[in-house]
Amino acid sequence: MIKDITIGQFFPGNSIIHRLDPRMKLVLTFIYIIAIFLCKNFLAMGTMLLFLILTVLLSKISLKLIAKSIKPVFIIVLITSVLQIVYNNKGITLLELGRLHITTGGIFTAVFTTVRIVALVVASSLLTYTTSPTLLTDAIERLFSPLKIVKINVHSIAMMMTIALRFIPTLIDEVDKIMSAQKSRGADLESGNIIQRGKALVPVFVPLFINSFSRAYELAFAMECRCYKGGEGRTRLKEMKLAARDYIALFAILACCGVIILSNRLITAPEQYSNILDSFLRFVL
Amino acid sequence: MENIVEFQNISFRYSEDEGEEKLPLAVDGVSLGIKAGECVAVLGHNGSGKSTLAKLSNSILIPTEGKVMVKGMDTADENLSYDIRKTVGVVFQNPDNQIVASIVEEDVAFGPENLGLPREEIRRRVDDALKAVDMYEYRTHESHKLSGGQKQRVAIAGIIAMRPECIFFDEPTAMLDPKGRKEVMDTIFRLNREYNITVVYITHFMDEAALADRVVVMDNAKILLDGKPKEVFKNDSLLKKIGLDVPSCAYLAKELRRENINIPEDILTREEFTQSVLKLLGEK
Repeated sequence: MIKDITIGQFFPGNSIIHRLDPRMKLVLTFIYIIAIFLCKNFLAMGTMLLFLILTVLLSKISLKLIAKSIKPVFIIVLITSVLQIVYNNKGITLLELGRLHITTGGIFTAVFTTVRIVALVVASSLLTYTTSPTLLTDAIERLFSPLKIVKINVHSIAMMMTIALRFIPTLIDEVDKIMSAQKSRGADLESGNIIQRGKALVPVFVPLFINSFSRAYELAFAMECRCYKGGEGRTRLKEMKLAARDYIALFAILACCGVIILSNRLITAPEQYSNILDSFLRFVL
Repeated sequence: MENIVEFQNISFRYSEDEGEEKLPLAVDGVSLGIKAGECVAVLGHNGSGKSTLAKLSNSILIPTEGKVMVKGMDTADENLSYDIRKTVGVVFQNPDNQIVASIVEEDVAFGPENLGLPREEIRRRVDDALKAVDMYEYRTHESHKLSGGQKQRVAIAGIIAMRPECIFFDEPTAMLDPKGRKEVMDTIFRLNREYNITVVYITHFMDEAALADRVVVMDNAKILLDGKPKEVFKNDSLLKKIGLDVPSCAYLAKELRRENINIPEDILTREEFTQSVLKLLGEK
């Protein structure tokens, strides 16, 4: 179960998405996430979804992995959708169960929220799936390098992120091992209520923390042995250069943004659809 | 030949927390010279001070007393630590705790990147280092998915990419299975023979120590024996007293001699053992 965590994982490949400049990927993902929250109608949402599907296909990342990335937010999506359906009473009522009104407006908002959350998760997982952690943190370091003026050590933060991402799989393995060790000594990690289970995890996390500190200590030695002395004077194995494909990607996402802005002005929002549907239904009935 | 690393009558004590009792000396008056091109094994029990020796070799730790000189540079001089670490690299026991980046080639590039080398030079060094440890085809793999022996070889490549003249290996095989252990030891000997890198490896496997040019035995923070493997392993009763053993083939040869089988006394390695048994069979 714990091995299912795919956060921050990287799947090496040679697709066009893999080869995009990581700085551009970072910026594009950011624009995409903002854009997806600005979509107010089906045309805009459709465009953004189409863009995402195309990117996924181009990246050659298996759909199974994409599905895996959505799994952890499934509960959140479910809860928000249910809440929207129950509490949003706009539009016409389709079903009435006592005090519960299911309305068209509620369903519209539920669908939009679901699509937004899923697209957000898929877009950001696609970023880490196709970018090696080192390149990703390098990109962050470069994009945020102006912060040096206000005395923020961007390099250290980026290095910490590299190491954190590097150690995620190692620590997951370790949690697995410690859990097995504690289970073999009779620890019950799987039954009881939340509080009992939380308490049962203490003997898992104590050794994990202690080991992490000794790991950090050893890693620091190893880094010193390899002449690490901070960001100054470091060079890089991989260069970052904006190529034609980066500008094309930027153009594509800006075009999508254009569609959103235009359609938001020209096409009526879903709440208004429901009004139209409303009058249509009334006309029929 | 000149000494590349010289421990001059050094002592070292780990600093204790306040109020605690003073810790015993981890290294107590050790003098040891490592000649350029040598392949030295350091043997010793847990807590004999052998691992501390590796950390003292490139100014990760500074001796409490005495001096460590690396090609004439004093490790106590902080301004020189950068040059010292370029000359003497250290590979530690746990490969997981030495690998900084998630992708093999990016990790190997970490050292050269720190040295501020130009991009083409980094590329060349990374490729050369990965070929030297026979991991070139894994360069774009994720390090956490490799086997223990492969990970340790990546860690070695990370040090080789800095082109050091001498490498200290601190129990590089202790956490590996027999297959990984053999991979790593083969790599270490190849580096010594083909790349002419001075090698010092700390181990508690007698069979590994028997393959070195020179064996140094440490006990209780002091050097007990120092010499060619054949000379050192002659002292089997002394070794047994400090909880060490002789290589398994030496033990087997000794037992066979006791059964009046005419086998030479100074056998240490499997190779030698096979040869003499074959010779014996040929005579019959």
